[in-house]
Amino acid sequence: MRLALLLLLAPALCLAEPATVIRATEMKQQPATDAAAAGQLAENAKVDALERRGGWTRVKAGGGAEGWVRMLALRYAGAGEAKQGDSGVAQLLNVARSGTSGTQVTTGVRGLDADQLANARPNAAELRKMEGYAASRDGAESFAAKGNLSAQRVDYPREAAQ
Amino acid sequence: MTRVLALCLLLAALPAQAQFNLNRLLDSAKNIGKATQEIGEKEEIEIGRDMAARLLGAAPLMANDGVQRYVNHVGRWLASQTERPDLPWRFGVLEAPQLNAFATPGGHIFITRGLLERMRNESELAGVLAHEIAHVLKKHHLQAIQKGARMELAGAALSTLARQDRNTPSREKLLAAGTELFSRGLDKSDELEADRLGVVIAARGGYDAYGLPSVLQTLQAMNPEDSGVALMFKTHPAPGERLGALERMQPTLDAYAGQPQLADRFTGAARR
Repeated sequence: MRLALLLLLAPALCLAEPATVIRATEMKQQPATDAAAAGQLAENAKVDALERRGGWTRVKAGGGAEGWVRMLALRYAGAGEAKQGDSGVAQLLNVARSGTSGTQVTTGVRGLDADQLANARPNAAELRKMEGYAASRDGAESFAAKGNLSAQRVDYPREAAQ
Repeated sequence: MTRVLALCLLLAALPAQAQFNLNRLLDSAKNIGKATQEIGEKEEIEIGRDMAARLLGAAPLMANDGVQRYVNHVGRWLASQTERPDLPWRFGVLEAPQLNAFATPGGHIFITRGLLERMRNESELAGVLAHEIAHVLKKHHLQAIQKGARMELAGAALSTLARQDRNTPSREKLLAAGTELFSRGLDKSDELEADRLGVVIAARGGYDAYGLPSVLQTLQAMNPEDSGVALMFKTHPAPGERLGALERMQPTLDAYAGQPQLADRFTGAARR
């Protein structure tokens, strides 16, 4: 239930998210390599990313022109430029740590920081529980069929296959 | 080869008056040899289960049967498309707000609630699980543990000689080395390989192959100082670099871009 709520609240990344193109790029009128040009973007041009379809993202350029560019050619503000904001994880953990005993275990909010991983003791009961959720090969196959997923023959890239 | 080299190192370190220690020395060399041998599948699975139990000690499973079963179905279907379909594949969602995913040898795979909440459809989940499955297929963690164990054992053998007591390699040490990988991370080349193979495995499963790249884009848009991604960013190449490296997979990505994303099933399963 809580997850569902958070899913609804999670920001939809591609709704007018500020981005830059990593190289000079031709915008396309349609999300396809052979589509007609819709304008030219210089390297590092700033755009607003609007929606993604397959390997293409529809963007709005500074001058107002719209078109489709390769999604792999877009970078969002986070990694390069300083971006404000936090997902709130730190605050959650701080709240947990400020419990009466001053330890984070009292409120049950824990997590996966390096410290917690280093000091973790094995939890055999949770492991058994996890193993109880296992899906069988057949079960997974009918699950896939229900989603209209059909298995494809796709080769690994040659250099990775060794 | 490594064994011979280790033995040479030991002999070079052997003081002339300490030749009575030769038996002990040979024992140590044997132990180093043992650690360099290929670890069998049974032991691989056991080490992985031990590592998984540790991880679950840091964060328990998210208390939602429906979500756990759903993730197991997606993951098991993907694993069936690989060269190791019969490993005991197990998947779990960890009750942790951070964004991360983990694999342990032999087929235990984890994703955090924090990462799941940032996903928009099943093809994104499939992309991340396929990346983790690739680590298991390629035994990336196992190799890193063995590499670490070899170096430590070579050192331990020498100090054993000096202190004249026995210090054999233990399962505990392998496990400690494995657990350390959760916070130290794998080699960058292992991560980029898992990205490439993950794209292929998701496509084999019939999913929109862009699931993994679009999760990477979500991560790339986040503030790297954000406490929710600090550990993941520390243990992986930057998402922007991973996206760049995936450009060589563009033909595969595009050939399978039209396959289902299953956004409705994803949100439905999460709502249960």
